[in-house]
Amino acid sequence: MLYRTAGQFKTSYTADQALFPVRQDAVLLGIVLLLVWVVFPLTASEFAFQTLLIPILIYALAAMGLNILTGFAGQLSLGTGAFMGVGAYACYKMVTIFPELNPIVAILLSGIFSAGIGVAFGIPSLRIKGFYLAIATLAAQFFLVWLFEKWAWLYNYNASGAIQVPNLDMFGLYVSGPQAESVTEYYIVLAIVTLLTVVCINLTRGNLGRTWKATRDMDIAAELIGINLMKSKLTAFAVSSYVVGVAGALYVFMWKGAAEPNVFDIPLSFQVLFIAIIGGLGSIMGNYLGAILIVGLPVVLGTAADTRIFEMSALAGLLWLAGILAVAFLFWVARNLWGVAAALGFGAAMLLYGYAQTQGFRADSALVEHINTMIVGALIIFFLIIEPHGLNQLWRLIREKLIIWPFPH
Amino acid sequence: MKRYRKMALTAALGAVIGTGAMAQELYTPNMAYRTGPFAATGIPLMNGQADYMTLLNERDGGIGGVKVDFEECETGYSTEKGVECYEKTKGKAIVTQPWSTGITLQVLPKANVDEIPILASGYGFSPMADGKVFQWAFNVPAGYWDGADMIIQYLEEQGSLDGKKIAFLHLDHPFGKEPLPVLEMHAEDKGFELVPIPVGLKEMQNQSAQWLQIRRERPDYVIMWGWGAMNAGAITEAVKTKFPMENMIGVWWAGHDADLKLVGEDGKGYKSISWSFPNPDAPVMQELREKVIDAGLSQTNPEEAEGVFYGRGLVMSMILAEAIKNAQENFDTAEISPEQLRWGLENIDLTEERIAELGMEGMVPPFSTSCANHTGHSGGWMLEWDGEKFVKASDLLKANVDGYRDLIDSSAADYAEANAPWPVNEDCAAE
Repeated sequence: MLYRTAGQFKTSYTADQALFPVRQDAVLLGIVLLLVWVVFPLTASEFAFQTLLIPILIYALAAMGLNILTGFAGQLSLGTGAFMGVGAYACYKMVTIFPELNPIVAILLSGIFSAGIGVAFGIPSLRIKGFYLAIATLAAQFFLVWLFEKWAWLYNYNASGAIQVPNLDMFGLYVSGPQAESVTEYYIVLAIVTLLTVVCINLTRGNLGRTWKATRDMDIAAELIGINLMKSKLTAFAVSSYVVGVAGALYVFMWKGAAEPNVFDIPLSFQVLFIAIIGGLGSIMGNYLGAILIVGLPVVLGTAADTRIFEMSALAGLLWLAGILAVAFLFWVARNLWGVAAALGFGAAMLLYGYAQTQGFRADSALVEHINTMIVGALIIFFLIIEPHGLNQLWRLIREKLIIWPFPH
Repeated sequence: MKRYRKMALTAALGAVIGTGAMAQELYTPNMAYRTGPFAATGIPLMNGQADYMTLLNERDGGIGGVKVDFEECETGYSTEKGVECYEKTKGKAIVTQPWSTGITLQVLPKANVDEIPILASGYGFSPMADGKVFQWAFNVPAGYWDGADMIIQYLEEQGSLDGKKIAFLHLDHPFGKEPLPVLEMHAEDKGFELVPIPVGLKEMQNQSAQWLQIRRERPDYVIMWGWGAMNAGAITEAVKTKFPMENMIGVWWAGHDADLKLVGEDGKGYKSISWSFPNPDAPVMQELREKVIDAGLSQTNPEEAEGVFYGRGLVMSMILAEAIKNAQENFDTAEISPEQLRWGLENIDLTEERIAELGMEGMVPPFSTSCANHTGHSGGWMLEWDGEKFVKASDLLKANVDGYRDLIDSSAADYAEANAPWPVNEDCAAE
């Protein structure tokens, strides 16, 4: 009913292969774009910009870079954090050596450096595969973080060994550094992420993307039908590292403002890998869903724990209610009773917590943090059990069921 | 629908009651880390800080008649969570207490724009001492450069350092690298050889490689700039390699009772420079036991309450409370703004008499701040582990700040230049 495809006829092959064969998909994307380009910037608070909107976009971009390598080309990498670091340090050196350089140009250029390093560390992939390649990229991870610590030129011989983002302006408007407004930073991140997403969608749907997928699915067969494996693997490393490097530059310049070398250590690589896996390997949209789950959800839960449930504003209450009911509905459509139970159970837990608050119960922040970690961990396991192929696949199933809903056959 | 209506009703009611209660509070959030890899050292500090404010609330009804809301925001020592906490609390907070060098580095430029004072007691960036440049940042009562200077002074009292070899075992992190410029300066002046030995964040618990190097180098002294698990690791390795403990000196964060209890008698003679000292006989401790700990308002236990770190937490909160009181008296208002608190922090005058009045004899050295001096340079005592607890092993040592005044000025100027436009306090006359 909501997603009815009846009456949408395709009269040419081009129309059938369009990005959005179903009109509702385009409408949905339009709504999302409207939200992120207009509604959120107008309504979001400083807190929402700095802890939700900007980091989710940056992590989603980093995961998208990794997904090109791991999800589309099938080359497992554990060095994402270090490649982000290369982008960040390259951008830092560029803006300090050439202060006149336009910051956005610097950010886009910094990806080229990480692409070069990525290709260099991708060369072993021509000979080794799978876990062995993962170990080779792990070596990149350790080596690069060590380099960030020891090579003082990289951080301009700063006594603390950390890089600090200077105030950068563009046409008289501060775009980076402490003087920059959050909304400016958000729009820059959004513009770059949107641009790179469009590029990645087109790359993965095009010729190059098909050679990557062929390499991923069976490299011997791909070689037999005439695909140059070296070219395929190294372009995957280059494109992936470029995107990851740009994400790293944004991570420091548009969000953190300062970074010490150990920020780029292996926990960051794992976090990005988790986002890519939970979101769904081999998908573009999954990266956004994964980032929302892994980066956004802990913040939302922490904020929810701090508010008094029965005293929140009517609008916020309505949004929570609508969100929980929408998730429950989608799971209901997909005939996934575990999902329905989880969504409703979450709502019930919130009401229970609100009731406990009226009885004078106060959770101190350390307890909230422990419970938060437990909930997020449980949700990751939950989503991987009900849909091992990630959130993207979950959405695809729901969408298929939505097309025929409310008639199951 | 019914549920929603009820919710809206309670929401409206809550808004009325909520604002009523909110108006009479001083909101001084603390970015605590009771979880994560550094929790063991964090918990006693957090407890000390929170308990002192609870004592003020219970005994005096807050400060100047207004209760203190000393809410904790859990960071687990992660910079990302720290920024989240900063953004969450900055709306109504009158002060921010970032609690890690990484978080301080990130919050420092932001607080200068948002105009909220940063209180980083005994940590953070040493050039913050220059109050003209860092108008919103305070690292009272002593910075890391003071600490390094006091340690060298103490060692010199034991005999000339000429031709001696000093190993500097430090965390390979902004925090650990902080004292290097002052130590290098002294090495040149006094003719000793400085051997920096970094310990990576991943090697904190297993320092066999570093201690092998120490055995090979045979230094006369080891100065340790460690934090969290690194201290316990270093102390146990030192005992294992039979390094003479009396020649090992740590910064104030490396003087945690629990780390030394691991080795007990074997750790006898280990020293740590400190600007605070736990005095269980001080009147304030008596009151804390009566009104806070025994009343069940604290998360601490009696053993922890006698430790160095708990006492340090008390001192930190006392400094903040003094600043709030100063501001209230000067501006004649109980509910002060962040800007007024900055004035309060710039006009702390903690004399011996005032410390006695607060019931904290011997727990902190006297010091005073000004608009140009945001550290106070209180000096400190050398504490020594006697096998069971830390005792004072020296008289009050005062850092010779003039020796590295130029370094402070030039580093502060470099920072301001790198972060231009960086507003400085033009009204403040030089000392």
